[in-house]
Amino acid sequence: MLSRVANSLYWLSRYLERAENLARLVEVNRYESLDSTDPNPWLPLLYTTCTEKIFRESKEQDVGMFISFSEDNPDSIRECVAHARENARMVRDQISEEIWRDLNRFHLFIRSEDAVELWQNQPETFHRRTIEFCMLLSGLIHATVLHDEGWHFMQIGKLIERADKTTRVLDMLAYYQGIAPRAKLASALKSCSAFNAFQAEYRSRISLDNAMSFLLFSASFPRSVRFCIQQLDYHLHAVSGSPIGSYTNEAERITGSTLAQLNFSSSSNILQVGYHDYIDSLQKQFNEIGQQVFDTYILLPLEIRSNTNSETRRRQNDHQRQQQQ
Amino acid sequence: MFSHTSRKTFPHYKCLHEHYANYNVASLSNKQRLIENTFLEEGITFTVYGDNQGTERIFPFDLIPRIIPQKEWQLIEEGLTQRLIALNLFLHDIYHEGQIIKDQVIPESVVKTAAHYRPEMQGVKVSRDIYIQICGTDLIRDDAGNYLCLEDNARCPSGVSYLLENREAMKRAFPNLYSQYRVKPVDNYPDLLLKTLQHLSPRQGHGPVCVLLTPGAYNSAYFEHTFLARKMGIEIVEGRDLIVLDAYVYMRTTKGLEQVDVIYRRLDDDFLDPLCFREDSMLGVSGLMEAYMKGNVALANAVGTGVADDKVIYAYVPEIIKYYLDQEPILQNVPTYLAWREKDRSYILSHLDSLVVKSANESGGYGMLMGPCATKKELQNFAKKIENEPRNFIAQPVISLSRHPTICEDLSIEGRHVDLRPFVLYGDSIEIISGGLTRVALNKDSLIVNSSQGGGSKDTWVLND
Amino acid sequence: MRLKIYHRTVYEYANAVINNNNEVRLSPKLTPYQQVETNFISVLPATRLTRYTDLNFNRVHHFNIPQPHQQLTIDSRCTVKTKRPFEIDSLPYGYAHIEVKKCSQHDSCHTYLQDSSFVEKTPHIWREALDIQADSTDVFQTCYALMDFIYSDFTYASGATQVTTHASEVIKGRIGVCQDFAHAMTAYCRSLGIPARYVSGYFFDSTLDQKLRGSEASHAWVEVYLGQHGWVGLDPTNRKVVDENYVVLAYGRDYRDVAPVIGTYFGRSGSQLTIHVKVESLETNTAGVS
Repeated sequence: MLSRVANSLYWLSRYLERAENLARLVEVNRYESLDSTDPNPWLPLLYTTCTEKIFRESKEQDVGMFISFSEDNPDSIRECVAHARENARMVRDQISEEIWRDLNRFHLFIRSEDAVELWQNQPETFHRRTIEFCMLLSGLIHATVLHDEGWHFMQIGKLIERADKTTRVLDMLAYYQGIAPRAKLASALKSCSAFNAFQAEYRSRISLDNAMSFLLFSASFPRSVRFCIQQLDYHLHAVSGSPIGSYTNEAERITGSTLAQLNFSSSSNILQVGYHDYIDSLQKQFNEIGQQVFDTYILLPLEIRSNTNSETRRRQNDHQRQQQQ
Repeated sequence: MFSHTSRKTFPHYKCLHEHYANYNVASLSNKQRLIENTFLEEGITFTVYGDNQGTERIFPFDLIPRIIPQKEWQLIEEGLTQRLIALNLFLHDIYHEGQIIKDQVIPESVVKTAAHYRPEMQGVKVSRDIYIQICGTDLIRDDAGNYLCLEDNARCPSGVSYLLENREAMKRAFPNLYSQYRVKPVDNYPDLLLKTLQHLSPRQGHGPVCVLLTPGAYNSAYFEHTFLARKMGIEIVEGRDLIVLDAYVYMRTTKGLEQVDVIYRRLDDDFLDPLCFREDSMLGVSGLMEAYMKGNVALANAVGTGVADDKVIYAYVPEIIKYYLDQEPILQNVPTYLAWREKDRSYILSHLDSLVVKSANESGGYGMLMGPCATKKELQNFAKKIENEPRNFIAQPVISLSRHPTICEDLSIEGRHVDLRPFVLYGDSIEIISGGLTRVALNKDSLIVNSSQGGGSKDTWVLND
Repeated sequence: MRLKIYHRTVYEYANAVINNNNEVRLSPKLTPYQQVETNFISVLPATRLTRYTDLNFNRVHHFNIPQPHQQLTIDSRCTVKTKRPFEIDSLPYGYAHIEVKKCSQHDSCHTYLQDSSFVEKTPHIWREALDIQADSTDVFQTCYALMDFIYSDFTYASGATQVTTHASEVIKGRIGVCQDFAHAMTAYCRSLGIPARYVSGYFFDSTLDQKLRGSEASHAWVEVYLGQHGWVGLDPTNRKVVDENYVVLAYGRDYRDVAPVIGTYFGRSGSQLTIHVKVESLETNTAGVS
């Protein structure tokens, strides 16, 4: 598969995942802010999405507009969908008609005036629709394309994004310096669609410790960091063809070591390191994995495939323009 | 659809006429809207140049098909085959010995000053000696019903995807009517194209690796590029996906580099290789020309075919046919005056208000003057331009393109001007897809059918006997 | 039947040659049974092509390539609409041997009774032909018997003969390819006083098993003069009366008159010749028609 195509597929699903998480995050935050006395209820949200600075420089006054629709914000929902579609457009021949059609519909919807109107009048419906579109596409990706190399790249993009977003939600809790009110904990869980799953496991024992353990270490909840990294490990090995438990490139090595660390940690370990620092180090590792996937498969060592020329050559990597990140 | 002399319906349109009489205008326009929505949702769009937004538009589609009886089509096929053979011989000749120049049929200066003449190609052997593998000649009909050739698009003709999609849409919208007419199918085009490409492969004993080279997702014809690549089952690549090592071309894949044999390039010569042509080209591949000239990779179409697109060369095509084939042209040219010939120039300048003036090397309807519709000022400006660069301009009488019933914006059905772009493939054999892209000028009395300037399209039905 | 033909002839020279002067007979003839829709002859290196009609009313193209070159390619593409001259139940019987004597004075027949470069009448050939004729008085019946004899008794094999092999050698060796079979038949016919001419052309094998001979190359057969029926084609290579599967390029006294490409050049080396012929039917449904 062409490296550029792999790159586009990766970003296609990563941006979709990003849009979905954003919509959920905003919805939970919006609902909660109805009861809030905080003069800046949106602030944690900007903090979570790392867009405070851009917001301050932007002309956009309304935080909600900024997060959902602003062109100044490269990570607004609208821009994420546009990026996803742009990537899909570049690899249209690699994805199914269904994915393309529905992604295009999603794009047309989110760009329309109707969408803004809906967001203003019935924000919940707007967010639900956005999430549904993402879910639909995720389902289509699962059900309508070959589960081959390209699909594995899509899964890799999605999982890195998902793990990253879950850690950001956890980081939002760090904003409360360990004395997070119960309501905040509940909304953090809801931002990860984790509230019901959490209750099933912990009943009503809702505490920072438990919420954190669940979102980080749960072995069966599909948005926990551990779960995502375990899946990521599987897909990376599926691409390289090397057996699980070994590694052939840096992306696999870092993923493996992160997974081992998650497999054998508990919340007490975290308190030793410091909550924020622990999350921070995880996020750095995710970034590194993403970078290594890029270096290994997209930037590419120049090895000529053996079926065309038995002599294997290596050359200096030449510069390659990197795609929008 | 209607005979020019008697205003009667041509016999091959009778059935269509009866069928459409069953619909009221509203239901027709409803069908049309449905189809256009499908096109938009499926992203069957083109991007408009000179528009910062990179707006995507659909190519407006008209529901009334153009019908061409077998006899008429056969003549078109013969004429196009003749033209393509002659143009290929011409290109081979001017890039080798130049017999046609030595025999004083065409002045050397005309050939060498053509904007798309490539001196680099002098003496280069191209794969299978074929220069133009894919040609999309524009035809029009004059008052007498004769098909005339308007231009040979010998570089990267586009539009074939709309032709195929239009057919799909018509089959869905009018299944009964379609099956009543015995229409020749067009869906074999991708197979034929792939065969044409594979035929060029320089590597023996190895399944040829063909790729489609696109300028990228922002190109106006990007939809078509992905469409064709997908239908052929080949990779669509951008310049940055390819790399040249020791004069061989490889594509970068997640598994390493894979050698490429044939490149169907939808990129103009200028952008192919920054080492050879435009240094600022970000779209091309460094070293591609070296690999090409060494015969390690084949390009379709060959480099330098643009000479045949030059409108001054166009005027010589009848003589080119006579020279190489010793035959009369089957498809006539539109009469053409060459501004660089003194006699022609004074004629052009004195009849400017009744002529169409075209720049020799522009396509897509850019850089032209429609004499009868122009203001005094425009006429003066153009006269000055012609005097300054006579080589760069030609003039033709205004041919009133034939008109074809078309559903208009106000839902009435009126005659609108149409042209026809058939697609010809030259590989192991010469194949012509049975049909073509009929483009229609949607604005009343407009003669400009280009998609970039308010044109639409129709499905074209070629009948079995 | 509509047939589409592609015929490529390539000469490769080990050393560059100059002044390559050629005559090409690759344009299908206009006859009552075939109508030429298109015919394009193209030559590489590209050069001026001119055309004229020869003594046998064949269409000839001529070209000259003055500059040095190492390869000469001649492509011919045509589409031809053919029809069957005779139905199976109305074969051209009824022209008697006694009448055939009269026609020898006709301009159009005289030439095709004389000896020519590759075909001469010998007593030996005459005696064989008489044996084959047996007691037949009908010219068509005799010709059919001659064709049948060649088809059954001669071995079809390439390599045993050359392009310059004479009819008498073929008849002696009882082996050859379509050109030789046609020469042999011409010789038999002429020795019996039946005007016979050599025909070059193409043949489309419309049978399912594709076992007929000569469809992958340019083909040759014979036309004999049958009075009121005119000239009738017989193909000794396949034992067939010529039908809509045949396309006539040229006819003449023998191969020399109709050679598809004939020419001269200046140069130190010989040439390597490759020929590729493809005959396709443009009918939508052809399988099983024979």
